Amino acid sequence: MLENIALIKEVIELMPTQEAQNLAKEELSKINLSHLGAYRVGQCSSLEIFYIMFIRAMMTKDTHILIDMPYTIIDNLENIDEVIDNIQRLEYKNKKIFILDTVNHESRYGNLDNLDL
Amino acid sequence: MIIKFIENIGTKTINSFDSIYEALQFTFLCLIHIVNPRSYNPAMRMVLVKQIYFTAVTIVPLFIVMAFIFGSIIIGVVIALATEYSLQDKIGSIIITFVIDEFAPFFTALLISLRSGTAVNTEIAVMHVNKELNTLKEYNIDIIDYLFLPRIISGVISVTFLSILFALIMLSSGYIFTLFYMNMDFHTYKALLLNAIEVRDLVILLLKSIAFGFVIMMIPIYSGFKTGNSYTAIPISVLNGMVKLFIAIFFIEVLALLLQSL
Repeated sequence: MLENIALIKEVIELMPTQEAQNLAKEELSKINLSHLGAYRVGQCSSLEIFYIMFIRAMMTKDTHILIDMPYTIIDNLENIDEVIDNIQRLEYKNKKIFILDTVNHESRYGNLDNLDL
Repeated sequence: MIIKFIENIGTKTINSFDSIYEALQFTFLCLIHIVNPRSYNPAMRMVLVKQIYFTAVTIVPLFIVMAFIFGSIIIGVVIALATEYSLQDKIGSIIITFVIDEFAPFFTALLISLRSGTAVNTEIAVMHVNKELNTLKEYNIDIIDYLFLPRIISGVISVTFLSILFALIMLSSGYIFTLFYMNMDFHTYKALLLNAIEVRDLVILLLKSIAFGFVIMMIPIYSGFKTGNSYTAIPISVLNGMVKLFIAIFFIEVLALLLQSL
């Protein structure tokens, strides 16, 4: 997955492979998932794939990240709080994060009112 | 009834020309990317190295064994026939023409088509069906630079390298046969080949290998890229890609023979 995350920096910013992969490793280690670096997509759970997708999105120059219906992306997600905690640990500088979901999931976002996402 | 029949022929002809035009356009686009230095970003170079490893390096043990077996048998048959028809003085030229001009690039092309051509066709088709190609486009990653170029370049490099290796092993294994069948010593065999080989033979080997390497990757990539949107379209794409690839290989072979006879 390291290559997957590093790809954006390598192609768009022409960052050397090693440097881009170190950056990817650093981001993964912030949420204690550095072991995923050596994994292939089939070896990861949907939650792990979600984090990888999020870090990959952070690697772009875009200022907005849209998470579209997290409860459908991540299997058996009971509580979004843990996911939000991990996202905050990733220190997304200069990026605004939007979570898009349907009204029937509204109650699951009860604790998010105070967050600056 | 007749008008309908003629209309069908017309439609099929137009569709065929359309597909050929589209394929040529795609090839031209890839060639432009090949000569553009900006295509060679770090990610592309990494994929290229991996692709060369998978296409050319991992196959080497099997390739050596096959080249040795085929080399001994085929050179044996050639020498036996040449002896039967009293063409001993032409054995050097026959071996060089047969091995370097024809057999080594052609056999390498067939082997790499079966192994890597099918793999690349399936890989691109699966990526297309899974919308991975769209995801790459969304991230502004040029799929020609990142996915197609490394495979095309690795095809050219691998087929050229393996053709040379195949020719060398085949010629070496041919010595074993000449030793036992004709009682020929190594120096005589070496002199026989060195006297027969010309720069023209090496140029033919290189040009054919480059042409084979290019189509071996180009056609499966294009076929995979043009796959329908369902998983059931993947085997059809591989099947069509392989048929087109084999036609292209035979076309290059015939074209090379025609050019050599000029």
